[in-house]
Amino acid sequence: MPDFAFAKPALPRTGALVLLIAEGEAPWQAADTAAGGGIVRALKAAEFTGKKGQTCTILAPAMPGGTISRIVAVGLGKAGEVTRLGAEEAGGAAAALLAREEHATVAAQGLTPGLAASVATGMALRAWRFDRYRTTEKETDKPKLAKVTVLTEDLAAARAAHAPMAAVVDGVFLTRELVAEPPNVLYPAEMAERCKKLEALGVKVEILGPKEMKKLGFGALLGVAQGSAHEPRMVVMQWHGAGGRGKGAAAPLAFVGKGVTFDTGGISIKPAAGMEDMKWDMAGAGAVVGLMAALAGRKAKVNAVGLVGLVENMPSGTAQRPGDVVKTASGQTVEVINTDAEGRLVLADVLWYCQERFEPRFMIDLATLTGAMIIALGHEYAGFFSNDDTLSKQLHEAGEATGEKMWRMPLGEAYDKQIKSDIADMKNVGGRPGGAITAAQFVQRFVNKKTWAHLDIAGMAWSSKDAPCVPKGATAFGVRLLDRLVADHYEK
Amino acid sequence: MAGFSRVAVRAVAFPPDRVPMAAPAPRDAEAAFEDAWRNGRRVLSGPAAGCAAALATIPHAALDARGLPAAQAVDLARRVVERSWRWEKLKREREKVLAKLDVVTDAPVLFEAAWTRMAAALAGQDFCRELVVLPANMLTPVTFAERLQALAELGVGIEVLGRGDLRRAGLRGLLALGRASAHPPRVVALTWPGSGGTAPLAFVGKGLTFDTGGVSIKPAAGMETMRADMAGAAACAGAIMALALRRSPCPAVAVLALAENAIGADAWRPSDVIEMADGTEVEIVDTDAEGRIALADALVWTQRRFSPRLMVDAATLTGSIVTALGHHRAGLFCDDETLAQRLLAAGEATGEALWRMPMGGGYREDLKSDIADLRHCLPERMQPDACHAASFLRHFAGETTWAHLDIAGVEAHEEADEEHAAGPTGFGVRLLDALAARYEADG
Repeated sequence: MPDFAFAKPALPRTGALVLLIAEGEAPWQAADTAAGGGIVRALKAAEFTGKKGQTCTILAPAMPGGTISRIVAVGLGKAGEVTRLGAEEAGGAAAALLAREEHATVAAQGLTPGLAASVATGMALRAWRFDRYRTTEKETDKPKLAKVTVLTEDLAAARAAHAPMAAVVDGVFLTRELVAEPPNVLYPAEMAERCKKLEALGVKVEILGPKEMKKLGFGALLGVAQGSAHEPRMVVMQWHGAGGRGKGAAAPLAFVGKGVTFDTGGISIKPAAGMEDMKWDMAGAGAVVGLMAALAGRKAKVNAVGLVGLVENMPSGTAQRPGDVVKTASGQTVEVINTDAEGRLVLADVLWYCQERFEPRFMIDLATLTGAMIIALGHEYAGFFSNDDTLSKQLHEAGEATGEKMWRMPLGEAYDKQIKSDIADMKNVGGRPGGAITAAQFVQRFVNKKTWAHLDIAGMAWSSKDAPCVPKGATAFGVRLLDRLVADHYEK
Repeated sequence: MAGFSRVAVRAVAFPPDRVPMAAPAPRDAEAAFEDAWRNGRRVLSGPAAGCAAALATIPHAALDARGLPAAQAVDLARRVVERSWRWEKLKREREKVLAKLDVVTDAPVLFEAAWTRMAAALAGQDFCRELVVLPANMLTPVTFAERLQALAELGVGIEVLGRGDLRRAGLRGLLALGRASAHPPRVVALTWPGSGGTAPLAFVGKGLTFDTGGVSIKPAAGMETMRADMAGAAACAGAIMALALRRSPCPAVAVLALAENAIGADAWRPSDVIEMADGTEVEIVDTDAEGRIALADALVWTQRRFSPRLMVDAATLTGSIVTALGHHRAGLFCDDETLAQRLLAAGEATGEALWRMPMGGGYREDLKSDIADLRHCLPERMQPDACHAASFLRHFAGETTWAHLDIAGVEAHEEADEEHAAGPTGFGVRLLDALAARYEADG
């Protein structure tokens, strides 16, 4: 990961130079003069107009007095309409073209200091790479970018804007790493240990094992876990950023994540093809951990709790069977029809516990919950379900602002009927029709009428293609979204 | 209109003697359903759905709507009539079925006035339901078109395009998908002139009288339900019938793309490239994604022929929408805010509920073909095919204000339950009728 620094505008003599150019605008005059008008000519020849997302690389431009190795021009779209997201994406697009450079200078002096910081943020987000298990890759094949200097007139303002963004980026990276880790390395106890690291940021971290959860009556979560050699965990993370402790403290926001560190499907085992993807069936929990790191890292003025239910879903002699009936922490019973619909069982206990213990202002859960969600919305939007129109509107707006796009899906009594069981309070699947909706109906039965939203991120947690700010692989979907939700509406 | 009513509904001021009467709880309270004798009269009481289910098999019944405003009484009677639908024309032994319903109300005149309008919509709905329930050997594109002639006596203009006309009009997509069948495709335009003056609303329906899937053949299990793959076209026809019966001032046209997707030696294939009616070259990925091809050509032709004020298409288009929204809401795809809001409102008002779904953007990107202008779906599994289909159709709707209703999943109920009869629902007829009413208001 490159280091980022801000500096007053001055033409660099070496390394790469990134020019951010809005539609119809000329590139940085000083640079073009130094190149004898060569930059303008090159961009014209490349039919570069500054359109959003457009890029153009000029290798080894003739610039006497220096040895600039490459110029990367990035289009910003219409001048005066550059948003935070637009600046981040421009930074991301640039970063993708700079892997072979050690040092890059970004001419962002045409943007506000805040947007300059966003460019740096976008570059960081795109330059991330998970390298832990590449042992034979040649040094020369690794990305080299080590230092980025962002030019801006107001250094103090840019640095002040960048600090909290960098904390969010750290949260994103934590999530991506957790999601990318293989399941033999990252099992429930190991993931819980990694949550402990948040203590360094001032987060209070509690870890509950099977004994504690049994006492709490987590029959649904424990049922999922009972087939695995790895014990389950629940991690409770608390961030008190709004001041006040104990009874005087403001009710926290609550974030709950599904953390199935590997999901074989259990006895209702999944087909072999694509099963390796199920290492990211903990991406909801991963996002909650990263979000807590982001909020604490930027010292958000909010009280927030993050709870993750961590299990591994394995078929074995001790595994839960289709047909089993389990009793949840709420007292409601569930007939387990399909052991591969396990995420909602985990959420059921953790959500119930969360609302009872914390009486939160709202609960938002994240889960890679259903294949039905992918068949509904693909990889464009996460589907969300909520019993509150205000929260829904806020989530939708945060999605548009961060590029983690959200589409609301319906709830309703008619769908709820699909999970009626003949012998228990409910069953854990409602059939193929409306599969993501019936899953949400199931989850809703454990929110005790609290303000709540459920994010089904099954199609969004992992990406098979690069996006401007998200290299393919683990996306950390939800971290930037919910950080923005908190920042825009819930910090005092 | 009497000739079109399956159930004769009339308003009465007092409960008729010796007729069983249902007294539904006004808000579907938790009350248990009860079937008891009170003062020498059989009285069914409890939730409205339960009452409707119980009345379905009573030839002459009464409905106690006293104390209810006319609009609510009408809605209650509507639920009873819808629930009692049963189609037994092909059976020798028939069961008892509701034929006569006396609605006991404090305001018979108001009720009758409001019911006239509802009865028109229900007649259209019944017309639709019969088309949907008819088996595929009895309802081919040709016989479908013939049945529509019944609407002529209501003042509906009927135009039928046979193979030669379709060729001349350049509807090559529809012709390709219908090519393997012994039953040639048809396009039927049903025109209701209304009071004229404005461009018509256009309802465009997918009418696959049977869908084998073609070369991309469907699994045998469940294939029999594919006789209903013309439910969109039937709904559009039913809506025109409703408008004609109630002499709506709103000019409207239904364009039905009728074909059978069969297997044959000259069947269209996955990988074929077809030049559609507007010249767009489309790569066929899966012959079982045929509905969007029929609709695309129909949308192009509708614009050319009628220059409509707007187009709404209805189609049992994708399995994806069933997975997404189940059996309780149809998918609405629309990038015109006014039309979308009007459709959503009409859906809530009629109980034919819609949910808005996304299209364009990345979904449209996904439809890029390596060798043609577009491909019509994606080959991989686990695709948001409903969003892809809508994005595909968007291309052919051109500049015309347009909405797409994916009604797969809501066109029929496999089994009867308290609220629904088994079989076709007629979904879309009352919705489109209500939409037209909203356009009557602004002239």
